[in-house]
Amino acid sequence: MNSYHDPELEDVLQDDELRRVAAMLGTARTPEPPLDDAFRTDLRRQLMQEAWAMSDGRNSWWRRAFAPPGLAWAGAAAGLLLIAAVVVYTSSQPPGGLHQVIVQSPFDGNRSVALQQPILISFNQPMDHRSTEQAVQITPATNVTFSWDSNTLAVQPASGNLAPNTQYQVTIGSSAKTASNKPLATPQTITFVTQPPAAPSPSPSPRPTPSNALGEKQLSPLGGAATLTAQWSADSSSIYFVDGKGALDVVSAKGGAIVVIAPDGVTSPSISPAGDRIAYIRGGKIEVLTFATAKTEEATPTPAPTLVGWAKDKLVWAAGDGVYAQGDNGQTKIAPLPATETSKALSIAPDGAHAIYQLDQKLFVLDLGTGKSVEILQASATFVGWSPSGTLLLYATPEHLVVADPLGVTQTSLPAGEASWSTQDAILIGGDTDLFQVRPDGSGSTRVSNGTYHSPLWAPNGTSFAFVRGGSLWVGVAPLLPPQPTAADQAGVVVKSFMDARLNIQPDLATTLLDDSGKKAYAAGGLSLVITGDPRFSRYYVLTQEVVGTQPDAVRFVVRLVLTHGKIDVTSYEETLTLVRDVTSKSFLIDAATAGPHRDLGKGAEVVSVDVAADAIKVTFDSDLDPGTINDGVLILDSKGKRLDATASYANRTVTLSGLDLKEGAQYKLVVLSTVRDVLGHNVAAEYDLDVFGPTVKKHGSHKETPSSPTPSPVAAG
Amino acid sequence: MSDLLRDDERDLVERAKRDPRQFGALYDRHFQQIYRFVYSRVREQTAAEDVTSEVFMKALKAMPRYQDTGRPFAAWLYQIAVNAIADRYRTLRPAQPLEDFHDLSIAGPALDDLAAHRDEVRRIWTLVESLPHQQRTALVLKFQEDMKIEDIAVAMGKSAGAVKLLIHRGVTRLRDEASTLRPVE
Repeated sequence: MNSYHDPELEDVLQDDELRRVAAMLGTARTPEPPLDDAFRTDLRRQLMQEAWAMSDGRNSWWRRAFAPPGLAWAGAAAGLLLIAAVVVYTSSQPPGGLHQVIVQSPFDGNRSVALQQPILISFNQPMDHRSTEQAVQITPATNVTFSWDSNTLAVQPASGNLAPNTQYQVTIGSSAKTASNKPLATPQTITFVTQPPAAPSPSPSPRPTPSNALGEKQLSPLGGAATLTAQWSADSSSIYFVDGKGALDVVSAKGGAIVVIAPDGVTSPSISPAGDRIAYIRGGKIEVLTFATAKTEEATPTPAPTLVGWAKDKLVWAAGDGVYAQGDNGQTKIAPLPATETSKALSIAPDGAHAIYQLDQKLFVLDLGTGKSVEILQASATFVGWSPSGTLLLYATPEHLVVADPLGVTQTSLPAGEASWSTQDAILIGGDTDLFQVRPDGSGSTRVSNGTYHSPLWAPNGTSFAFVRGGSLWVGVAPLLPPQPTAADQAGVVVKSFMDARLNIQPDLATTLLDDSGKKAYAAGGLSLVITGDPRFSRYYVLTQEVVGTQPDAVRFVVRLVLTHGKIDVTSYEETLTLVRDVTSKSFLIDAATAGPHRDLGKGAEVVSVDVAADAIKVTFDSDLDPGTINDGVLILDSKGKRLDATASYANRTVTLSGLDLKEGAQYKLVVLSTVRDVLGHNVAAEYDLDVFGPTVKKHGSHKETPSSPTPSPVAAG
Repeated sequence: MSDLLRDDERDLVERAKRDPRQFGALYDRHFQQIYRFVYSRVREQTAAEDVTSEVFMKALKAMPRYQDTGRPFAAWLYQIAVNAIADRYRTLRPAQPLEDFHDLSIAGPALDDLAAHRDEVRRIWTLVESLPHQQRTALVLKFQEDMKIEDIAVAMGKSAGAVKLLIHRGVTRLRDEASTLRPVE
């Protein structure tokens, strides 16, 4: 912490202690504050309204002419003022003055217009609303409604939003007339490009913490129990716990009466994996309560059991000399423990493959298959728990929590605290002052709350948890950890860097993102890494992306490159990039690339986004379509060219083919026939084909891979 | 900020000076950082929204008078924000305790260092709140907003030397007060 160095403050922070304080100040990072998107949008609209008003005021000749001078200037300065007024009038008017209708829009020339807003068009004088609205032409074809605010016309797409990744041209034809019945001299056009579709928000934005954000509830006093000995029911509805008198009690997680199951002397309660039974030790016996029948069976193993658990629905227990299981012919010793009084079994893994025992203040992992033990080589280590599958374990040292494999090899070090490992692969860490969540790999550390949270214990549902506060048992609900970046997210970052480098004509940078095979694809005679000429490469966007492999991770992107002449997008083509995760560096590189044919733009509806799921494909167009042309116009074919049965529905420029059952990794072809028409009756210029693959689902820690979703990409060249 | 970005911003500013309707691009570019800064000072969402609205509305109206001094445009926005917050502070205090805001869970250089340092970091930032207003503002702009001294000088309407002095006094006072609060080990 004393290594703080800032050249700007070198001369004023010469003391080590001052630098240490400065380093600490720089340590705290500000999280994103709660932000209402509606506020952001609304403020922007207010600002733009004000800006337009300012602009109108600026261009208003009479304001310029008469506003600043007061009456004091009137007399002798009147002549000068008159001259000035004439000068200002002349200079501030657009060519032609009020005789010429000027059309402007804040969107004109913008290459990244947000989707959720109307198109604003302003005129320099009052317009006849009806003729002006009738003179509006929009490409691509879009159903719209109109509203006016003074001299500004708001053109609102009927579907709610503008189409993503789309260049709009809005033309006010010469049939538009002013309020005084003067026509436009010439048609006037504004041109702009919209943003990609918004990515789905992984989690709601944080809000100021309410007083009981976690829905905490006190369930029962623990009657002086020193530690929490408890088990959740399999459906996470209730908690079995041992109180200070050794009674086994159960209480609903919603609160209410406490039911006593066994009145005293209970240790080591353990719910069966199926949730139908609970075993515990009492009076030197193992008792097993079956919930359905409310009957308790007893077993009296010899030697006396010290610990009971379950391994794949089979009762297992530990005694002083070993670990036992209940077999068809009575008890079976499955592994011995060291024959010494100082050894003590602590826990049996949920998969029944390992047990933990303590010997002379040291922890050992016992392989129940081989009977061999491995020592945890950490001083003062105490066992905390197992991963849900039992393949990893968690132990505590005075400084850390440690995630280790059954050979004792450290996988991760986490901050110290009292911990529990959830079925969703989140580790909850509590203590006197804070409650944290973190993934087992150490990522995603998030403070859940301030306060006292001793002995946190996740419920099987991975959201509720029990804890001890003030000698009582409490429950709360923890928010889910934000999802980890998926393979598709990581590959998407590489695609963006690659395409940006090409857009900015940085071939050397782009080449660093290609593997050997990828370099061949862009070698001489292959695809063009640098795209020059006219029309020029002006922007790109990701049309669709799919995870197509998991060993190694492979992600396929279809990127559309748009070529522009002057201000107008005139043609586009698609490159299909396959990225593979490098085994050594773990980074994605572009391994394969192919290019499709050029398509002319502005001649009928175009597909601008494709979202593939196993049961449905969503195809978003840039135009409003004639719904009657959808059913036989948008098809999905299998690899043999056979049309799949699917239900086509249409809303808001998006055709959804549902009722599919796409097989993982299988190739399909999305086809948009030229029979599809937009609302103006224009057919799709030429049949459009896109290869898609049945989505691959892969689990990444606590987050299941999203098989396919468009990645927004800021894409426009300047 | 790279020269390329600076040129790009200069272009945006010039366009907005000529035509206020071009201000939207500057708003889009700077909204998040100004809102975050304002929120960090007033720590209440409605208040942060009010102050942020005030900042951008004032900036829009003052655009024609904006002079490019070679410093980032954001420094000017921070200046408006600092003044707007100061106006608000004259009557109000922050609503939410500071420890709820500085997210120490994701702050540290390494996860296992956090547990050791987070209490001390939290205590230091709590002490920042007790500093005189000018020192507090200088420290926040330097260490939270990661601004350059020259830009802080613009934002606070002071010389760079005066800003350094404020930071020195603030850090010195924190050192002294932190040592008196440090628990006995």
